[in-house]
Amino acid sequence: MTARAERIETIKEIVCDILEIEEDEVTETSLFKEDHGADSLRAIEILAALEKEFGVVINQTELPRMVNLEGVYAVVAEPAGW
Amino acid sequence: MSAQHGTDPAGAGQHRVVLTGLGVVSSIGLGAEEFLQGLREGRSGARPISVFETEGYAHANGCEVVGFDPNDWISRLDAQQLGRATQFSVAAARMALKDAGLDVGELRDQRGLISIGTTDGESYDLDHLVQAELETGPEKLDPVATRRVPAGRLSAAIAQELGLENVEAVTVPTACGAGNYAIGTGFDAVRSGEAEFAFCGGADAMCRKTFTGFYRLGTIAPDRCQPFDIDRKGILTGEGAGVLVLERLESALARGARIYAEVLGYGLNCDAYHPVAPNQASLARCMELALENAGVSRDQVDLISAHGTGTKANDSTEVAAIREVFGEPPRTVSMKSMLGHSMGAASALAAIGCALAIANRFIPPTINHVTTDPECDVDCVPNDAVEADLRIVQNNGLAFGGNNAVVLLGKYDGQEETA
Repeated sequence: MTARAERIETIKEIVCDILEIEEDEVTETSLFKEDHGADSLRAIEILAALEKEFGVVINQTELPRMVNLEGVYAVVAEPAGW
Repeated sequence: MSAQHGTDPAGAGQHRVVLTGLGVVSSIGLGAEEFLQGLREGRSGARPISVFETEGYAHANGCEVVGFDPNDWISRLDAQQLGRATQFSVAAARMALKDAGLDVGELRDQRGLISIGTTDGESYDLDHLVQAELETGPEKLDPVATRRVPAGRLSAAIAQELGLENVEAVTVPTACGAGNYAIGTGFDAVRSGEAEFAFCGGADAMCRKTFTGFYRLGTIAPDRCQPFDIDRKGILTGEGAGVLVLERLESALARGARIYAEVLGYGLNCDAYHPVAPNQASLARCMELALENAGVSRDQVDLISAHGTGTKANDSTEVAAIREVFGEPPRTVSMKSMLGHSMGAASALAAIGCALAIANRFIPPTINHVTTDPECDVDCVPNDAVEADLRIVQNNGLAFGGNNAVVLLGKYDGQEETA
């Protein structure tokens, strides 16, 4: 598994845990809000869990980009230096 | 809540209810007199937080109570046995008793009600207990601090301090609107005749838990609270207590008490719409309930003391709800610009501010105001207090979970009518 795929797996686990959904329901481009019932509080929970997992600080102004796994990866990649 | 104010006070066994004593512990002053001066001057309670460790937060201003020594006010109880929020509530009750000029010996012969609202109870103690448990294990928890924690202490300790044995003492946990809930509870008890007096209000002490929660939601302003401003960035957490003495009009008149204002009525509702987001329709409905309960028409309201937290969502939703009810609204201010958000104390302190405004013929300003947000288009009395003869004032309180509470106060001018 590539480094990227491993990280995506970790992010997926976090997201599925918070949104209380099964991992096979989520694709890299399925939308947290529209497809998986997330709201603003869940989005902040995801942000906080990512900060903890990857040891980074994510500005809340990034939330609008964090709509799916692909978007989250791109946002976390910047402070994490991936 | 169907009865109309003043329809048939004697015949229906209903009493008019007046405010005769005010007790204040706030970041802009201790006691009603200092608080009044603070509101008139537009004083800011904002300062760097010192009551808990703030390392790691990008910004950490708050509105702390400073210069408060519980032993200046609390005489019967050992202040060290009381949590910080309970110290505030008991001290404010002592101040209110004194301000009302009531004889506590006489109160002990009467039926009374004590209702104190809160968001966090003694979470300040819980912060420390959790830290101690993590660092040293549960066997090292401080037993005194542990005993201080139950939120019921906020009201029960007032009964103990004042030696009141014939009272119902309740703590109301409806968070940031809880002060108004507590006033409503006292109003019902005194109006119905169930109680002869009530000590009502709210209390909270700053704690790291709540600061961190709001911080994580992105709702803590970096330095100051700017309600209704286009550049508002959120709340500052605060603390304090406000306690109001409610009694029957006839008892106040019989003892020649100073009457700050009359409590006209209140409205409550809960929409259970969202954990944190306010709902415009249910807030509008709550204001209508309050107006109906008070027997007041919307065009009679001279001033609205808004919940006005200074977050993007609250202020625009609240102003939209006000416009829905009032059309062109009366002047609408936020005392949180000065006091920060003192949680369960907030609407009690604001109600006291409203009573002082009525009695002293002025409107407290919304400070830190630069440019009004078009989405919050109200005259918020920016930065400087103005003189005004207020007849009826509305005090809004909103809380997480969709709890809304609105209290209406009116000028008591019975003396003028009979003069």
